[in-house]
Amino acid sequence: MPKHYRPPGKKKEGNAAKYMTRTKAVKYLQVSLQDFRRLCVLKGVFPREPKKKFEGNHKTYYHVKDIMFLAHEPLLEKFREMRAHGHKVNKALAKKNKERAERLKAARPTYKLDRLVRERYPSFIDALRDLDDCLSMVHLFATLPAVEREKIEVSRIHNCRRLSHEWQAYISRTHSLRKVFIAVKGIYYQAEVQGQKITWLTPHALQQVLTDEVDFNVMLTFLEFYETLLAFVNFRLYHSINVKYPPILDPQLEALAEDLYALFRYFSASSRAQVLENQDLSPSQPENADLGSVGTEGDESDLRLAQLQLQLPTNTPGALMQLVEKAGVEDTDDDETRECKSLFKNLKFFLSREVQRESLLFIIPAFGGVVSWEGGGAPFKETDEGITHQIVDRPSQGHMFLSREYVQPQWVFDCVNARILLPTDIYAVGRVPPPHLSPFVDNEAEGYVPEYAEKIKRLQAAARKELMPMPGLDIEDIEDPQNILVAGVISRTEANEAAEEQRKISMLQNQYHDELNMEVQGVPYSASGVHRTMQIPVEDTESKKETLPDSELPVNEEIMMSNKKRKLYKAMKMGEDKKKNANKLLEKRKKMAEAKKSA
Amino acid sequence: MGKAAKSSRKGKKAWRANIPTDDIDEYIEKSTKDALTGGSLTSLPSDSLFYVDKSTDISVKKKIEKHREKVLHCESTLQKNPFVVSVPSSILNKSKKKRKVPKIVVESKDDSKDEKDNVSGMVDLWEAKDEDNVKPTKKPKPSIIPAVEIEAPGCSFNPSFEAHQDALASAVAEEMQKIYKNELGPQPVPLTVSSEVVDEESLYILPDHDTEDDAMDEENPENSDTAADRFSKTKRVTRVELNRRIRRRERQKVESEAKKIEKLSKEIDSLPDIIEEIAKDDEEKQKKHLRRAVAKEERRKLGPPRLGRNKFEPAPSQVLLSEEITGSLRKLKGCCTLTRDRFKSLEKRGLIVPGTKRKRK
Repeated sequence: MPKHYRPPGKKKEGNAAKYMTRTKAVKYLQVSLQDFRRLCVLKGVFPREPKKKFEGNHKTYYHVKDIMFLAHEPLLEKFREMRAHGHKVNKALAKKNKERAERLKAARPTYKLDRLVRERYPSFIDALRDLDDCLSMVHLFATLPAVEREKIEVSRIHNCRRLSHEWQAYISRTHSLRKVFIAVKGIYYQAEVQGQKITWLTPHALQQVLTDEVDFNVMLTFLEFYETLLAFVNFRLYHSINVKYPPILDPQLEALAEDLYALFRYFSASSRAQVLENQDLSPSQPENADLGSVGTEGDESDLRLAQLQLQLPTNTPGALMQLVEKAGVEDTDDDETRECKSLFKNLKFFLSREVQRESLLFIIPAFGGVVSWEGGGAPFKETDEGITHQIVDRPSQGHMFLSREYVQPQWVFDCVNARILLPTDIYAVGRVPPPHLSPFVDNEAEGYVPEYAEKIKRLQAAARKELMPMPGLDIEDIEDPQNILVAGVISRTEANEAAEEQRKISMLQNQYHDELNMEVQGVPYSASGVHRTMQIPVEDTESKKETLPDSELPVNEEIMMSNKKRKLYKAMKMGEDKKKNANKLLEKRKKMAEAKKSA
Repeated sequence: MGKAAKSSRKGKKAWRANIPTDDIDEYIEKSTKDALTGGSLTSLPSDSLFYVDKSTDISVKKKIEKHREKVLHCESTLQKNPFVVSVPSSILNKSKKKRKVPKIVVESKDDSKDEKDNVSGMVDLWEAKDEDNVKPTKKPKPSIIPAVEIEAPGCSFNPSFEAHQDALASAVAEEMQKIYKNELGPQPVPLTVSSEVVDEESLYILPDHDTEDDAMDEENPENSDTAADRFSKTKRVTRVELNRRIRRRERQKVESEAKKIEKLSKEIDSLPDIIEEIAKDDEEKQKKHLRRAVAKEERRKLGPPRLGRNKFEPAPSQVLLSEEITGSLRKLKGCCTLTRDRFKSLEKRGLIVPGTKRKRK
């Protein structure tokens, strides 16, 4: 009996009309709860919280419109069909009619999610915007063990692995990786694709534990959708750089589990094929013409053979170099991409046996470097003369080549985040490297800058001004007079820049105040003219600035603001105060720690 | 049939008997057999040998269908008369036509796609730029929490000292909060209560002080009634008394009016104070509102609204202990419960309803 009696003919009103409990929704749609959950996940319909929970606080509510949206879904019919099919199979099995059961099992109704992807993401940009969760999930499942109990199939894990490698290969190829952060949880990556910042999390190379808090039915449903989505996104991205999408990989490399490298090779091969085809247009070469015709024919096996033949000559060690150079031909990149591309240019890396390969194989080519590793299918051996950096993660290195530098893997990550080549000696073998700072923290906004971040900043400024520190000197012996001089120059230039900026800002601010004042006084804008404000000398503005407390807006302006803005402003200030307090606490702690250390 | 004649035959008959008639006999035998069975099967085409049994396939016309065939009078009147030209509607028709045309196109496209490839992901889904068929439905985002939340800098595998201390402190605070909640919270209701066994006899006997109270209540109203009667007898009012009363009333009236005027003038004098007070009140209200709005925003950032029976519980943050920091990636004791983390993230964004721990079957 509801609280308020409603006569039977009367319509419902308010929240009771707008929302529906889950039980009611399931009854309305006439599906099992399991199917309902799956449908919700696939269609992107999620529970909501009504203002008034008319059937109690312990129930789950859905919007009525959402449920109607589900009711019109063709997938619903498909689910019913599948259920009926399951009944048929069961019946056949119960009647010991094995033959029929087998036949039925072979003809199980299937469904595709293509339409749903299109429906949920009407444009490609929408899909890119929502790719974070998708990528994290796919990368996670790529490392999971296949567990029968949880219905995690081997084929799906392989599919996830393939999709994640394809994505990484694209990012690496287009040099769109921006930030990397190794946390305890996993490795965070941030890339910029078509102006969208995409962040994803990959697990460490560890055996993942499946806890019983996790409902794998739900996870697998999400994964099902995400797999489809990522396949479409990859297809689109590959075609945007003129590569055929389902990539054909070298089976030998695939067998060695070097999918990523195989993909790089595939890229280089396809770009070479393009060049060949382009040449084919002007001078008629019989061989190339043949190749072209094969490509257009689309005969699968022939195409595959041709592709692999193209990849054959790339077995030579210089293949990756070629790849990198080819990629440099494109001139549509923005500044940041160019910067990223040239970070590890002309550097050759070698990964030792103990180093975790996956992430480094992805990152180093993404920043223009060439990389090899110890193991089958590697492009070049450890004894290669051209190697400039060897990445080592062990307490001591026995045999050392003098021609190369031995660094810990953290060096690569820190270089990538700082966008400069950091000095290698603090990352040398056996030393405890400097802290790995998060690139996702905006130090200026936070107001607290860690020590090492300051050092990196100085180095960046130095690199920008082409004032590289003297060879043989590193940042540690900053007490050296020469270094201090350099630092002084840098700091002075920095200070100059900062002052310039501040002056500009104060000027603009002043102008704004004056205009406001004039408005208050009722002076028409056009009459006063802009010239007067422009003519205000710099000294004047500075003196004014001193009188004004910089953190607070003048009172009359606060009054001028609309109510909403004023509230927002106040909320902002509350947040700022909080941050300031936190910073103070941090600094206090640091002082305490230092005092403790010295004591 | 093929038997030799037994009786003696002379002349022609004997001559005839010498002619072999086996082949003829055979033929006749065969033909008769064929005639009896209905012809040899080898020469016949297979079409005439087998036929598709359609006797059971023919759908029985049900009563309902028969009924359907009948056209009701009301329906017949509604049917379109070919001789009457319909008046074209100006707006409705246009919109309908426009809507219908792209739909048909889409369907045909879908069919062709299905035939072409059965593997999803091999088509450019966003290639076709026809935005008509896909309505961009603006859905409210279930939450403002990002899908991938980036951990604090202190959770790095090789954090700087201060950041690490910060992260560690927050993790410790979380744990301590849980402990304090357990300690300071209300005691759980005990499952069993220790007490003496109640006798069966005493179980049915109620304590009798209730009846006494009732008796007391009954007595009281009688007393009050008698008192009222006594006071209801009043003295007679004399003329003098009446006059006095009238005068007093008039005086009071005048006085109260004077007081009113005085009060009003006082209030007018204190108007700035009142305005100030109102402003103060308003300000306080606004502050309260602001505080609430900020708190609400913060709560939205922390977790989902209550969506079901269970409350969302965030996963503990992953921080290395001070002695676990080695600075080496190889020796890193990383988090191995990332599935749980992703699951919690789904819960946190309100995409799924937080549930209890599942029981293993």
